[in-house]
Amino acid sequence: MATSEEALMWVEKYRPKTLDEVVGLKDIVESLKAFMKNPKTMPHLLFAGVPGTGKTTLALAIAHTLYGPNWKSFTLELNASDERGIDTVRDRIKDFSRYSRTGFGGDIPFALIILDECDQMTGPAQTALRRIMEVGSRTSRFILICNQSSKIIEPIQSRCAIFRFSRVDKQAMKEHLICIAKKEGYTLVPEAADRIVDFSEGDLRHAINSLQTASAYKEGVIDEKTVALVIGEASPMLVQKMIRKALYGDFMEARKTMYDIMGNFGFSGTEIIRQIQREIFKMSDLTAEQKAELSEVIGEYDFRLTEGANTDIQLSALLAQFAKFGKSIEESYAETK
Amino acid sequence: MQKQSDLLWVEKYRPKKIADVTGNDEAKALFLDWLKNKKHTKKAVLLYGPPGVGKTTLVMAAASEYNFNVIEMNASDTRSEKAINAVAKPATSYTSLDSFSGAAKKAGGNVLFLDEVDGIAGNEDRGGVNAILKIVEESLVPVIMAANDPDVEKLRPLKKVCLLVRFHQVRIPLIIALLQKICRLEGVKAEFEALERIAQNSKGDVRSAINDLQSLSEENHRLTLQDTLTLSSRNKDVSFDDTLRGFFSAQSIADTSRLLSYSNVDYDDFLLSVADNLPKRYTDAAELAKAFDFVSKADVFRGRIGTENWHLLKYFFNCLAEASAVNPASYKPFTFITPPIRVITLFWTKGKRTTLDAICGKIGAQCHVSHQIAREQYVPYIRLILQKKPKSPLAAWFKFTPEEVNFLVTMGRF
Repeated sequence: MATSEEALMWVEKYRPKTLDEVVGLKDIVESLKAFMKNPKTMPHLLFAGVPGTGKTTLALAIAHTLYGPNWKSFTLELNASDERGIDTVRDRIKDFSRYSRTGFGGDIPFALIILDECDQMTGPAQTALRRIMEVGSRTSRFILICNQSSKIIEPIQSRCAIFRFSRVDKQAMKEHLICIAKKEGYTLVPEAADRIVDFSEGDLRHAINSLQTASAYKEGVIDEKTVALVIGEASPMLVQKMIRKALYGDFMEARKTMYDIMGNFGFSGTEIIRQIQREIFKMSDLTAEQKAELSEVIGEYDFRLTEGANTDIQLSALLAQFAKFGKSIEESYAETK
Repeated sequence: MQKQSDLLWVEKYRPKKIADVTGNDEAKALFLDWLKNKKHTKKAVLLYGPPGVGKTTLVMAAASEYNFNVIEMNASDTRSEKAINAVAKPATSYTSLDSFSGAAKKAGGNVLFLDEVDGIAGNEDRGGVNAILKIVEESLVPVIMAANDPDVEKLRPLKKVCLLVRFHQVRIPLIIALLQKICRLEGVKAEFEALERIAQNSKGDVRSAINDLQSLSEENHRLTLQDTLTLSSRNKDVSFDDTLRGFFSAQSIADTSRLLSYSNVDYDDFLLSVADNLPKRYTDAAELAKAFDFVSKADVFRGRIGTENWHLLKYFFNCLAEASAVNPASYKPFTFITPPIRVITLFWTKGKRTTLDAICGKIGAQCHVSHQIAREQYVPYIRLILQKKPKSPLAAWFKFTPEEVNFLVTMGRF
């Protein structure tokens, strides 16, 4: 089982195992270390912040620190966006939180429950969770992870120590990427590193995945060209292709691309619209005003998407809006000339 | 004159002479032969065929030409044994006095006409068929019956004692000629294509064709092909394409509303097809965006309707209707995209979706991420890595099955 012992995805391989290994996030790590000195004093924790900033990594590092190599026996790791119903809370979480682990986990008298993407949990599930956190606080500790703390109900927030994670510093990220590449036997050209950093917008996980993919393209040196190729072939680029087609007025082609994305990559309408939003803000040929205007339109259709019956119709309608928008830009250019 | 114009055209132009009855010449000849022949080989005749092809009309025309009395009973009357006996018995028991006086040419005597005999209900009209059989047996006057579907089980005994005369659908050119004649008499200016469409739509049913003509042209004495597109509704099975065509060529919101409220097409399929074809209808970006906005709103209402809030259906229709009439002037005929694009592109993904879910589950287990993140941030990259390095141990590490690996490698290659 050697294959399963050593992680092959670089994100996992280079995920820090202890708090000391964590790069950056100094303040948070210091506070957490203080808890670790006397684990009994550790409160429930709430980690909030954008994706890829180290929330899950810190949670897992805490588990390692508390329980050592057998951490998996004392930790329940649940992804709330996969299992977010009230049933999960009532069954799995409640059962796990109820039993004390004294005598098994050394001197740590509680089990650890890591709930990732908590902001995806339904309201009733959160309410149920609140009770469990209170009752089970002698036998278990929670680490709740979310992108937006505002989506977590107040009573839960008040039971937790809240830590906010900001985007990873660009320079630190760049150095980290080059360091990983070196350990894997590759030379990452600084320009290529910049490109990855820009593209991943402070999401370290995304950046490392791009890096690993680029390494599959070419032995030895990872240059800017290879990185561009990877970025181009990964799906977000298809989303960008779709947006461009629409903005240039080729609605039919844009829609075809949309169906390709849905059909071939299995993306849902909501996921596509979120990527559209993200991609629009990356597009350098649009002014800030234009982006804001488009964003407003996207918001409207994002809302309709949740109310409507057919996501592909809503996306098509959005693309039609893009086509109209693209045409109006074109006309205003023509006028100024 | 007031009285005349109030009439349904079907009644107004119902032929008074046998020769004027449109179509079905063979059936006509057979029937008249039987009627004129005093020594009937069979005492009764059963005229059968689809509705509106002239069965009743022929009987009435024959009656007026040969001067006989028609004693009629149809489905609207109860036809239990008792009722049939009460009406039909006296009528069939005595031949008319006139027929003995040699004035038979003017008064053909009594004829019993039982219309819509296939409508004799099992329970309410208990014993009805037996009573008819008895009357046919004892009758001194000819008995004429008409039915749409002679194959009904309960009519089987009747068929044995009857001469069967089969009526067919009236041929389209004959109907068109008839409609043209009516238009001339009514002073309606009609496009030939419009009449052709009405005739075709009627599926050989003269009555419904005339009714359609009247309802469409009575008001302004003008009839264009456009008018007939909204008509599809009243007919038995309007094709999906016709509804689409009517939708896209509509001249006003009212047109479409009428079309949609009568049409029986599946709402969900129709919505998809409208969305699919919209860019072919509106080639101008601004028009398309506007129309799509309405379709999007219609879809929102469809979502709100769900499976129970059907009272919201009218808003769904309204939004669709608005989408159809963004700019009536820009309509140009085009060929439809069918079947729905989604069905073609996404239909087969259900099996794939399951595979993808399994893959994302395995990624999630190894990398501590949700399915969603796995799909967005891992799958696209792992796919590329596996494409570049097919022998990468990554597949084994994730515990992907060979099918899953194959799925990843081939995905995204259009």
